[in-house]
Amino acid sequence: MEFCRKQVKSDCEELLSRFQRTESVRFEIFSKIWREMKFSHIFYGTMTHEKRHFSRLVLDTACVFFLPPFNFQIRVGGLYLLYSLYRSQTASPLQQIRLALKDWEDVQKFEKDAVDAQHLDAVYILRQLMCIKAFHFTAMPSLLTFNKKRKVERSALCEKFVERTSRPQELINIELLEELSNVHKLYENLKNSVFATAEQAHPDPSLNLIQKDFVPEIRGTVVDFYKWQQMTDCAGDGEAEDAGEGMSSQQECSGRAERLASIKSKAYGQAAEAPKSRRHRQVEIDFSNNAGQSHMSGSVRMSRPSLKARTSDSVDISGDTWKDATTPTLISRLTTLNSASDEKPKQYKRFKW
Amino acid sequence: MKKKKCRQKLITHEPPRITYFVGGNMAANTSKDVNTNIPDYEYTDVNTKLFHIGSFRSEWLKRLKPSSYSFQAEDEEAFEANFAKELGVDPEIMTKVKSVCSLESLRCHPEDQQPDPEVVPPDSTLKTLVQRKKRQDHRASLKISKNRHDLYADELDRMTVGRKAESVADMVPEGEVILTINVYYPAVFDKFNYIRPHVTLVMTGSHSLAELRDAICCVSDLQVCGEFSNTPDIAPDFISKDHFKSAFFYFEGVFYNDMRFPECQDISMTIIEWAKARNFPPYSQAKMEDTRFIDLKIKVGFPYLYCHQGDCEHLVIFTDIRLVHKNDCMDKKLYPLLIHKHRVTTQKCAVCHVYIGRWITKNDQFAPSNPCLFCDKCFRMLHYDAKGNKLGDFLAYPYVDRGAFN
Repeated sequence: MEFCRKQVKSDCEELLSRFQRTESVRFEIFSKIWREMKFSHIFYGTMTHEKRHFSRLVLDTACVFFLPPFNFQIRVGGLYLLYSLYRSQTASPLQQIRLALKDWEDVQKFEKDAVDAQHLDAVYILRQLMCIKAFHFTAMPSLLTFNKKRKVERSALCEKFVERTSRPQELINIELLEELSNVHKLYENLKNSVFATAEQAHPDPSLNLIQKDFVPEIRGTVVDFYKWQQMTDCAGDGEAEDAGEGMSSQQECSGRAERLASIKSKAYGQAAEAPKSRRHRQVEIDFSNNAGQSHMSGSVRMSRPSLKARTSDSVDISGDTWKDATTPTLISRLTTLNSASDEKPKQYKRFKW
Repeated sequence: MKKKKCRQKLITHEPPRITYFVGGNMAANTSKDVNTNIPDYEYTDVNTKLFHIGSFRSEWLKRLKPSSYSFQAEDEEAFEANFAKELGVDPEIMTKVKSVCSLESLRCHPEDQQPDPEVVPPDSTLKTLVQRKKRQDHRASLKISKNRHDLYADELDRMTVGRKAESVADMVPEGEVILTINVYYPAVFDKFNYIRPHVTLVMTGSHSLAELRDAICCVSDLQVCGEFSNTPDIAPDFISKDHFKSAFFYFEGVFYNDMRFPECQDISMTIIEWAKARNFPPYSQAKMEDTRFIDLKIKVGFPYLYCHQGDCEHLVIFTDIRLVHKNDCMDKKLYPLLIHKHRVTTQKCAVCHVYIGRWITKNDQFAPSNPCLFCDKCFRMLHYDAKGNKLGDFLAYPYVDRGAFN
């Protein structure tokens, strides 16, 4: 079943990227796209014994989109996809969705978020899946067979789907700021109390190890970061559609953010270019290496005779029987009286993927 | 064969010094960090870190509502009422949500034109279907209706999938752990290929390792040692399985020996002593029949060892561990469940070309080759007269084909 993994993945991505473009999390919208793409047909035409394997594969592929690092909208789309695939699979008995223990927290959090935002359809579908026992509660998301790959295939996560980083905002929240300012105040007081005994009007400037307006500064930086993020988002959108619109949206932004953005975009531009050039160099090096190796191995490698050759060496066959043995020993051959038929052995075409 | 026997004889006859594997380590770990039993990747998509199966099970049960893993189907109406109550939805909106999320909204064709689900839709935009169409067309051009192996696989499925227990006492209990175990055929191939022949067994957490051992079929258990040209009728009485009963599993530094029978020996001792002499980390021992899966600490996806007949070595991989589901085979008596078996090609009799070879002869004046393979019937007809007297001069050894278990 491995042969169609790539195709299934790209089909799912296509469906979800269409869903993303609608900027909605409604099941109605999703099912409309589902019908447009005739996604139910994905199960049609699988052979009986392949049905369960194919369902397994499809559900495993779709399950990835239901979990982080994808953003909330894609995860809702992933949930709808799982539900729709689960309900329309043709395998019997139904294949279950595999849910790993380590991902359980994420699912709980997702459900809470959906409830808080009153996305009734998403919550309904998740609970419905739970209710109809659509999940296997497993150790790992897929079956593991110690399948070490020689060539590690970078599974290109669809980057559009991934959530924007929000760690700075999460880390520096109101409570933390309050706490920080409290600590800061205490610290200042302590310093003052030390110098009060020394009867000095102002504390020693050598003790000013920390900026005075430390807390507002941090807050300002995070807000700047957030603004920049917002701006790169809308700038990105602008570029995709129309350059002129991108310009106008940039003008709206503050001067500082603009400068920041230009620095960042330069940085990213370089980062994007650098690996390319490295890749190019690597290819060259690899090429020469390979050539050298193949040359070497050609001269050094000893080829062992095949099992067939070794067997025919070790088995000694007496007299005339050898002559008969060389012709195909099918039963049909043995049963025909005159073995003069010059039928060629059947050649099977091989399927190329 | 000879080598095998020697190796078993080499093993010391001292009373085996068994140090039971006690979970002291385990308890210390769990108290320090509760999350050690939530399996996570050691190497992504290859294998997991070490975890305790029993604790893994209780971690799941701790998180789930009993209704989530029970076999009873939940009542649809109760579910909806519950949902409406919990989220504070009034009935009108509830019916709307229900209709939006119904299966009707997923139907991709008009209601009266149900397409044939066995046919690949011809003009699809889905890449999967484009590929499948191509593949189906190719298969059709081959004029082979069905592969023999597919038929076998279908038959195996019918035996196991979704079987219900006859009595309640035979039911697998709710919240039980189901393990999927791949046991690989011993690696004896001269050539590397990408196929890794194996059998797949499904077991529950309350099974012991000895039950896994009994479920593993291997032709080396059926081998018969010796030359039987004078007494071909008594050959089947000397199967290796009955002579050499020792075996062990090796999981995470512990050798689990089979000690159920008085003639069993501790064949892991040689390895342990060898390792000790070379400053390897110490290994411990335990009894296979006293160890249940639920007590084991393992890595999912990691290759372990099953060794029997002295040197017949199989890799064992736990590919999956999960809670039991109501669609699983419910009958306890059918476990361990065989769900996949690799079929190997068989060597046929040199005379009839129909039956699988049972005898191999050497220095045989009747045979076209040396050595030569015969099925039981052809062998007796060619080498013995009507009264069962040996004709001519030859050596005959019982032969067990690799595909004997197909």
